[in-house]
Amino acid sequence: MGEDGAEAPDGPDGDQPDQPGEPDLLREMAALRRRARTARHAYWFPLVLFGLLTCASFPFYLRSTGRPSTDAGVLASLSNPGGKWLPFFGGAPGTEHDSLSYYWLAGLLGGLLATLLWYRWHARQAGLATPARGYIICTAVLTVAALAIPPLSMVRSPRWLRFLHELRVLWPGDLILRGTFPFVIIALGLLILAWAERSRALAVTAAVCVALSLLESLYNVGNIAYRLGWSVPTGAAPLLNVLPSGLLLLVAGAAAFLWQRRRRAAA
Amino acid sequence: MRAVSDDAAGHPTSGLDERVHQRHRLGILTITAEAKEAEFGYLRDALGLTAGNLSRHLTVLEEAGMIEVEKGYSGRRPRTWVRITRQGRAALAAEIGALAEIVRRHDPAGGSPPVIDA
Repeated sequence: MGEDGAEAPDGPDGDQPDQPGEPDLLREMAALRRRARTARHAYWFPLVLFGLLTCASFPFYLRSTGRPSTDAGVLASLSNPGGKWLPFFGGAPGTEHDSLSYYWLAGLLGGLLATLLWYRWHARQAGLATPARGYIICTAVLTVAALAIPPLSMVRSPRWLRFLHELRVLWPGDLILRGTFPFVIIALGLLILAWAERSRALAVTAAVCVALSLLESLYNVGNIAYRLGWSVPTGAAPLLNVLPSGLLLLVAGAAAFLWQRRRRAAA
Repeated sequence: MRAVSDDAAGHPTSGLDERVHQRHRLGILTITAEAKEAEFGYLRDALGLTAGNLSRHLTVLEEAGMIEVEKGYSGRRPRTWVRITRQGRAALAAEIGALAEIVRRHDPAGGSPPVIDA
């Protein structure tokens, strides 16, 4: 069983005579669990990675001034998709370029792959593996669904495939108008990751991420800035729908990195 | 295999399993319940055991169906990964529950015992 095949020096079972009392045994197990959890936690990486990806997407949002400027215009363009196949990643149909769509498709899939490799590497280094498969599967399924539902529901299909049009009920409505639906996918994935990591801090961060991503997707955050008396250049206003999620992920990731390093050093 | 049950039925000691009611084997189950899988070297260092002793404990738990052991390589380095089974989780939960109950009975005013997820 062992890697060096050494024999047990202290009895056939390797049992130790100094079995502690029940309270001490429980305390010892609680300490072992805490130490294992500290060594296993590695969620700073996906937070920082998706924070960087979000911040790196700023230029795409700055250039997307060709987007319909009113909700009525956006809704009208949604009813006529006009051949845009990735609306879940790039926002409402009718925008003048698809770069944002392809950026987020590549970003989500690449980010997932990098996170998977990160957790494998960390497991080898720490000697403890996090059950991150649920997070990977959940985020991958959401990404693939967001990729597949629009073309499947819009394709001109023969009568026996007409049921595909019913997939339109799965369109998440106004959530995709501002091109920030990827934030919702990222935030939902982080909720699953918080469960896998058994981390309250990550659960709180993910819950705030979900709330922020819904706000950014459903509302022009620039309006809040305007009401607070801040002046934002018109061209930069879409950034306010991106900046909060990006900054939150980066700050939370950096804080988690420092906290985890400190806890490991203290352990 | 149930043991340590010399009191009336229903006493918390009747929930103790001699295969689990051992400091290091309980430690192995506690650590592996916290992760998807734990590496042999981590268990050895965390529990302060020699490789031989750890192997003996792992054998006991594996034969009881409480853990699964998988051997492999990381590059050229041999690696042994240990994974808790559903049966192992149930045994750990039962053991922790019995220990907590014993602590409560012996020290009702001593506050609640440490909480451990199984």
